Order: sequence, then C-alpha cells, then structure tokens
Amino acid sequence: MIFSIATKEWKLLLKEKGTFFWLLLMPVMFIVLFGTVLGQLGSTPQTLTYIDMDRSSASEALLASLEAKGGYKLEAKDAGTLDDELSRIREGKLSSLLVIPKGFDGALAEGGNSQASVELYSDAASDTVAGLRSTLENVASDYREQRIDDALKSAGANEESRKQALQSPLRIEDKPQNSTEGNTVTQVVPGYTVMFVFFVMISMIRRFVNDKTTGMTARLRTTRMSPLNYLLGMWLAYLGVALVQCAVLLAFGHFAYDVQLGDLTAIAILVFMLALCGTGIGLALSMVVRGENQGMAFVQLITMGGAVLGGLWFPLEYMPKAMQTVSRFIPQYWAQKAFQDIMVRGDHLVGILPSLAVLAAFAVACVAIALLRFRGFMKSAMS
Amino acid sequence: MSYAIEVEQLTKSYENKAALRGIGFKVEAGSCFGLLGPNGAGKSTTMKILSGLLEPDQGKARIFGNDLGTAANEARKQVGYVPQSITLYEKLSAVDNLVFFGEMYGVKGKELKRRIDEVLEQVGLADRAKDAVEKFSGGMKRRVNIAAALLHRPKLIIMDEPTVGIDPQSRNHIFEMIRSLQQSGVTVLYSTHYMEEVESMCDSLAIVDNGQVIAGGSLGEVLDRFGTQAVYLELQDGKAPPALAGYGKAEAKDDGWVLETATPLDALADWAEACKERSLKVKRLEMVRPSLEHVFLTLTGTTLRDN
Repeated sequence: MIFSIATKEWKLLLKEKGTFFWLLLMPVMFIVLFGTVLGQLGSTPQTLTYIDMDRSSASEALLASLEAKGGYKLEAKDAGTLDDELSRIREGKLSSLLVIPKGFDGALAEGGNSQASVELYSDAASDTVAGLRSTLENVASDYREQRIDDALKSAGANEESRKQALQSPLRIEDKPQNSTEGNTVTQVVPGYTVMFVFFVMISMIRRFVNDKTTGMTARLRTTRMSPLNYLLGMWLAYLGVALVQCAVLLAFGHFAYDVQLGDLTAIAILVFMLALCGTGIGLALSMVVRGENQGMAFVQLITMGGAVLGGLWFPLEYMPKAMQTVSRFIPQYWAQKAFQDIMVRGDHLVGILPSLAVLAAFAVACVAIALLRFRGFMKSAMS
Repeated sequence: MSYAIEVEQLTKSYENKAALRGIGFKVEAGSCFGLLGPNGAGKSTTMKILSGLLEPDQGKARIFGNDLGTAANEARKQVGYVPQSITLYEKLSAVDNLVFFGEMYGVKGKELKRRIDEVLEQVGLADRAKDAVEKFSGGMKRRVNIAAALLHRPKLIIMDEPTVGIDPQSRNHIFEMIRSLQQSGVTVLYSTHYMEEVESMCDSLAIVDNGQVIAGGSLGEVLDRFGTQAVYLELQDGKAPPALAGYGKAEAKDDGWVLETATPLDALADWAEACKERSLKVKRLEMVRPSLEHVFLTLTGTTLRDN
C-alpha cells in the first residue's frame, strides 16, 4: 500500500509540467549560468582604461608591465577626452582611469629623491579598483627595486651581492593538500544540487494541503489505508524524486563540466542522507503549516536562507565569523561540506561520517515532529 | 430481519455547535435508505460517522453488526463511501484513479483489473477509461467518483448527495446504477435534498432537520402519517374555483388551486358538481398524492429548497 501511494504520486508528478522545470530544468540552468559566469571570472581580462599624455618608452614600459602583471586588457583614450572619462566615472559607467601625465619619463629618469607620478581616477563605489591599485603598487615596488639595484651598482657592488641584497627574507613554500583542485564548478555543482533538493518541499506541501482541502485524505481514511501508510507512502514518493534529482544534477556536472565525483559509494550514501533530510523537513512542514501560502514562506526561508548560510553559493570563508558559526546548524552546510570533502579533498565514507550523522539527525528530528503533528493533521482533514 | 445500519442516539458537536442531537434510525440490509433534509441538517455528519471519518460524542452505530467504536476496521471493509465532493486526482486517467483506489481498498492484480473493467461498464465510462479525469464533464466525474467506491464489492454504499450539479444523463446513469446495486443485494444509504430522488428510489427514509430525525419509516408510512391528501382543480381562463361549504380554503398552486381535505373523494365530487352548476370549464380535476415537500413543510415550517 505504501508503494501504491508512492506510485500514484510519481504518476501525478510526471503529469505536472512544473515538476520538470522546478526540480530538474531550473537547477541545471542555475548550474550552467553560475558555473559558466563565475567560472570565467578569473580568466576574463579586466579592461584598464588609460590616457598616456607622456607617450614615451617609459610610459609604454609601465603599461606593458601592468598588462603582464595584472592580465589587463588596455584601452587607450585620447588626452582630449579626460573630462568625458571623468564624467563617466562619476556616473558609474567607468570604474577607473589611469592617467600618465606629461613628464613621466623625465621624472623617472631624474633619479635621486624625485618621484614620477601616475594619476588613478576611480569610482569609490566600485570593487574592482582595489585590484588595479594592488597591481600598481606591485609595479611601483619593481621600480623601487630597480632604483636600489642601480644605486648598489653605482656603489660598486657586483651582480651577486646586489642579487643577495634584493632577495626578500621571506620565502613562500606552496604545499597544496588536496589531490583535486577546487574551482567554481566544484562549488556550484554540489551547491545547487543541495539547494534544489530542498525545493522538493514545495511539491510535498502542495500535495498534503491539497489532499486535505479537497477531502482526499478523508476519503482515503474510509479505505483500508492506515494513516501511517499514507505518511510513509508520500515520503517514499518524494524521497525517490530527490534521489533522481541528485543523480541527474551530479551526472550533468560530471559530463558537462568534467566534475570529478570521487568515491561513488560515499556520494551515493551522501545523496541518500541528503534526500532523507530534505524530505524529512518537507514532511514536518506539511504537518505543521496551516495552508499552502504559509508553507511556501517557510520553504523560501529554508532553501534560500539555507543556501546562503550553508555556503552553497560562495565559500563560507567570505562570511563573518558569527555567520560561519550559525552555518554549523544548517543541514545544507553539512551536505555541501561532505560533497566537497569527497570531490575535492578525496575523502571516503569514513571521512564524511560526521556530516552524515548531522543530516541523519535532522531527518530523524523532523520525522519525529511530523509523527507528533500527524494526528492533528488527520483530525483536521476528517472534519 | 437483518440490518445493515443501526444508529442509536448519535450526538456530535463542532465547537459547541450541535450537529447531531440524538439521531437514530435503522436500515434493512439490501434496501435503499434515503436521508432527506436541508443543508446543515446533519446528513453529512451522520454519513461521516458511519464511514469512520468522525467519532460521535455519544451514541452507537453498527454496520452489519460491527460496532464502529470497537470494530471500526471490520466495518470499514464492508463500506464504500462516496463523498459529496468529487475526490479524484484529476490529472490522472479514470483507470489510474481506479487502480489507486482499488489498491487502497485492498484489491490487487487481476481481480483489480477485472473489477475496474466491470465498474467502468457499470458507470458507462468504459470508452473513456484512459482519458484524464480533468477532461470529463461534472457528471462523468461524479460517476468515476462512485466507481471508486465499488471496486472492493462493498455490502454497503454510503452516497453523500451524489447528484449535485450534474447533467440529466449522468443522473440517470447513477439512478440505474443504484437500482442495479440494490438488485444485487447491496445496501444503499443515500443522502439528498431532492425529494423526487428519494420518492423514486428509496424504500425507506428519514427526514433530518437540526440534527434530529423528525420523521422516518417507509415512504408510504411517512406520507400517510404526515402528508395531507388534497384535490387539485384547474379552470380555463384561470378563474377562481367555487367555494365549497364544509371544506377549508383552496390555496393557489401553479395554474390551479389545491384544497386539502381528509375526504378528497367527496371534495372531488362536490367540486365537480359546483363547477357544473356554474358552467365553469374544467381543465384538470384530480386527487393529489401527498408530497415529501409538503411533509417537510408540515414538519418544519420551511421548504426544503428555502434552506
């Protein structure tokens, strides 16, 4: 009888056009959109708009250095357009403008205590200027080193001793611990898989509420179906949906973006626990909410809030410490962590046991709430 | 005599408002029993208690001897409940709905397939089996709604206003189905606020109002006990009838006049004589059978449709 109820739900879901869109198409679109856009963030060169009033070999060398160090795409503007470009900055249409004034070459060659200057006009509201400023400071540091080297050379130091003097006392030894390199796609694919599993709660709430308000639940109660069979059958149905959803999204990530899934057994068990957790929460909500609107409000809070706090959209390290602590109480955090542990850090089942335990605890707690509230739900359905 | 349903002093309240106030009646096995009353009389509440959806506050109810308080599951096996609202999954086909409900009633495999074919024939929808219910007319939906309650061959069918808002063809189908069920020995408990349905199909009835049975028994008994005999006269040109000494005042009805009397045959003869004396041209002159509507009006002071 439980399987009959689940089969009926699957038939209904296959007939509803929205099912494919919300549960499969939309998450795939999100993965494609954010995976493509965010994945190319680092590789797309930023444009550096400049006006070279000096037009000297020194100014050209400065620009070449900026292009090489910062990966900028240079865009030259005429000197006569300075006022226009400044207006664009004030209007928010341009983030920055580098102006190399006339006399730059001469000031640079003068030596001594003289300094050559460049002017960086920027939109204070823009986040992108910090990177340019950092690159400029890096280039300025190169110029300083060159001046020091020239001074040492003038003082008679040989090449070896000049090299030693200029060597930084600090050496960085890069030691990556994980076998697979993490990138935007290894964040986005599991992140949106986890997020959209919780969207199945929408379908669950709609069905339970609809069955109650149309009198279907009451009618079924006049048959041999026991209330517990009803609950378990509906749960089984949406558990199946969540499992299929995860399988499709992860397979898409693997075949479309070459995301390495790692230990498949661990992934399968994680997917099962995630589905149990998501549908368990859906079951509890279905028993608790008074109507569909209230249910949808809760779903938005849990899915969207959980996505942000769970680190599904961007790494948690970007968030304040307090929020990072709060995230430990969010099931999405543990699901995403477990996916990353398997896919990026090469963990196996033992490594993700704590995450599995947390997801299981959420599932058990929510199913307990559902069972406690079930009697009240059935009573309101009968009257 | 064996009874399919025995109801004794059922009471039920919702938020301090009494829906049932000691309702009681018996339904013979194999008969069609009508529950007649206006909206809010307590018919649906009674049916929900008998279907196991609600528990009464007080009183007892038995289905084929099984007490609903102690042997509800046994009782439930023998009942097919047809709710007032159409409770089907409209996105699914008629067959898919029946497969689901059949399985909920414990019918499986080949037996279920056979029963689905049979009930679809019975409700006249065998050729629309694979169509989605959402494409059906209201009457067709109601027929599927009934079919879903027949799959497990119940001994008792409880139908809560099954003909509300449907076309005449579907209504006739339903009436035919009920007669056919009766002939095969199934007991039917039928609630409605349409008197003509009870008059045409039910062997016995209970008139329910304000949570109580105000009249009950076979149709003939109820009409004899509470109905008033009358004579109907319709004259050409719509003229008023002649007054008769020793009788009450005739009341206008439809295109004629009705005179209530305990001696309708005498009244008929007297009226015929009076019309002849006055050279009045008579279109219709007949004895009128008491109606349930009149019985209800007599008992409650209101008409069924006013409620």
